[in-house]
Amino acid sequence: MTMLSSVAERLYWMGRYLERAEDSARLVAAYNHLIMDIPRAAELGWDVLIRILDAEPLFYQQYRVGNEQNVLRFLLAEQDSSASIPFAVRWARENVRTTRDVLPEETWEQINELHLYVSDAAEKSVGRRNRQAFLEEVISRCQRVNGMLSSSLPRDHAHRFLRLGHLLERSDMTTRLMDVGTGEILKRDGTHEAIDPLIWTSLLQALSSFGAYRRMIGPLVEAQQVLEFVFQEPLLPRSVAFCLAEIRAELKPLNNHEKVMRTLARGRRKLGKLQPEHMSREALHAYIDEFQALLADLHDVITASWFQPDTP
Amino acid sequence: MNESWKSYTAGSFFDELITPKGQPRAAARGVVRLLQKLPGDEMAERRAAAELAIREMGISFTVYNEAGNIDRAWPFDIIPRVISAGQWQAVSDGLRQRSLALNHFIDDIYNRQKILADGVVPADIVLESTNFKPQCMGMSPRFGVWAHVCGSDLVRDGDGRFRVLEDNLRVPSGVSYMLENREITKRVLPELFENYSILPVDDYPSQLYQTLASLSPRERRRPCIVVLTPGIFNSAYFEHAYLAQGMGAELVEGRDLMVADDNCVYMRTVDGPVRVDVIYRRIDEEFMDPEAFRPESLLGVAGLMRAWKAGNVAIANAPGSGVADDKVIYAFVPDMIRYYLKQKPLLASVPTWLCMREKDREHVLKNLDQLVVKPANESGGYGIMVGPHSTAAVRRKFARLIEENPRNYVAQPTLALSTAPTYIDDKVEPRHLDLRPFILQGRDTWVTPGGLTRVALTKGSLVVNSSQGGGSKDTWIVEGKA
Repeated sequence: MTMLSSVAERLYWMGRYLERAEDSARLVAAYNHLIMDIPRAAELGWDVLIRILDAEPLFYQQYRVGNEQNVLRFLLAEQDSSASIPFAVRWARENVRTTRDVLPEETWEQINELHLYVSDAAEKSVGRRNRQAFLEEVISRCQRVNGMLSSSLPRDHAHRFLRLGHLLERSDMTTRLMDVGTGEILKRDGTHEAIDPLIWTSLLQALSSFGAYRRMIGPLVEAQQVLEFVFQEPLLPRSVAFCLAEIRAELKPLNNHEKVMRTLARGRRKLGKLQPEHMSREALHAYIDEFQALLADLHDVITASWFQPDTP
Repeated sequence: MNESWKSYTAGSFFDELITPKGQPRAAARGVVRLLQKLPGDEMAERRAAAELAIREMGISFTVYNEAGNIDRAWPFDIIPRVISAGQWQAVSDGLRQRSLALNHFIDDIYNRQKILADGVVPADIVLESTNFKPQCMGMSPRFGVWAHVCGSDLVRDGDGRFRVLEDNLRVPSGVSYMLENREITKRVLPELFENYSILPVDDYPSQLYQTLASLSPRERRRPCIVVLTPGIFNSAYFEHAYLAQGMGAELVEGRDLMVADDNCVYMRTVDGPVRVDVIYRRIDEEFMDPEAFRPESLLGVAGLMRAWKAGNVAIANAPGSGVADDKVIYAFVPDMIRYYLKQKPLLASVPTWLCMREKDREHVLKNLDQLVVKPANESGGYGIMVGPHSTAAVRRKFARLIEENPRNYVAQPTLALSTAPTYIDDKVEPRHLDLRPFILQGRDTWVTPGGLTRVALTKGSLVVNSSQGGGSKDTWIVEGKA
């Protein structure tokens, strides 16, 4: 069974948006946790989240200051900003709406429920009181959809393109999350290093990987080891290495995959070059930026290879 | 008795569930008894559950207005409409007969035109109709069938007799709502199913698949079938997706398809072009192929008619089928049945005056306040005048329209449409309804058990279209006595 290029593209985006919704919720939840643990003097600002998501131009079109209220409104409640959770959920839903015929019957119902939940609850969740519960609910509903898909979607093209979108988005968001820790983005100029373990722990928690880290690496949470673990650990499903290996496995059976495979190989080589112990905060931040550019290239060749095929 | 039912009276119309004496009809006894026995607020609770289910299942339809397209939740009434299987059998036989005759007619018109030569149907009304497509002359689709999916609208008059009101042969819609209505009832009134033997409806997608597969020009175990939709903004998009999924077929838009130099249709896939055998067309033929019809259409596929005429792809319904879907032609269907099948029509239709005939026109103009006047060519309930509900100004306007273009108007007596108990606000009240069954024809013919019941939610209204404030009901064909 083959698949329409247009359907493959929508599934790919469905995979991306669903993962983006979940990872954005994880990002905000982690930061939300962190900020309560941090001494006031460290002056962590909420605007970091906007920078991580590359949403500064969009944000400052609408808001003057990057304070807690504005940033959270922008990320949790703004229906039309492309960086918000409701936006990601709406487009995940829209893509399911137009691919219902190739997905398990419950997909539409579940994604629709997620959409209804987010539209009803988002506005009330900007404040601290309901925020965490909202984020957890979004994460668990996203996981429910993913779980249902992974247990009932045949391993054909539908699964393949969904998964490509999902894995690529996850790699991208994971690298962004790590950028919180590189400090460059926090503009901390080396002070308050005592809070570093707190930051890295909350980042691991955001990836549901703190327990795995303790078992596989040890109880001490250190920047270099966390970075290696999250980028390079082949057994961790949220690590970048794991995602790229899975992408490779999904690409293999596809026709016309040569170009994409070459771009992917570049990414895997780049991944091997990460050596956090020899890198400054600035160098790390630059590395993450370059890596994200590489993932953007990967997206472009995937689009050119399968979604916009030449007319024969 | 539940409070909401207490003041129910069937009134002067034929009521589907309640006799004039206020007793439930035999087939409906179980449903009515159970609903009447529901304690206190339960009617309202069940309705809320249905609304929630509709929201969760994402059953919607799109309404167009000045403000743009609005996706609305599907309006559903929880009280099912019940028809006995014995009664339905006769209707079903009549529909099958009608569909056979209509297809004979279309095939005849695009080939020998015998029925015109024999003077049974006047040639000019067929050949001058905008629904007659000269591009289709000489085509002879498989089994001589053109209209593979037909949705006929039925009403019941004052005696409870079923009559055909019109036949929709172009791109009839609504079948997915028939299926979803049953799903909703199963969720919100599961106990109703305990004591009934209700004919299932969920077979439809596989019946449709078999009908379409039988048309494939290539002999293959699984022909490549696609559902061609105008896209997400079409009011019936929900249904297009639903049926594609039900059949395991691809849901495509025009840009997903192309016609290559070999006059075959291909779809663009991640593995390159793949040949298509059967297209279930849910886009008007006018927009189907810019080469053959409207050149400005962006929805269609250039060369589709070429491929169809070369016999390389089947299209359902075939282009040109609309020639039999015209309110003037409607008046001749009983004659077609006698002419092609040598049978007596099994299903009553509605007496129709054709304004193109001088005598008929005189009668219509004299009795405008009692008749329903319809344009020959519109669907969706647009452009209709219901005489008894009209103002003198509207009647004057229609008189003028008729005089200007008599071919385009027909008139029928205002029917005393049947009613059924419908839950409005906190009371059960009678509302008028119709029924749209679907008839499939390919190698075999098949009729849905029941169909989509549409109900006019406004008191006294006869307009059942969902775009104009209509709702719907689950329709049960029940065996034996409950």
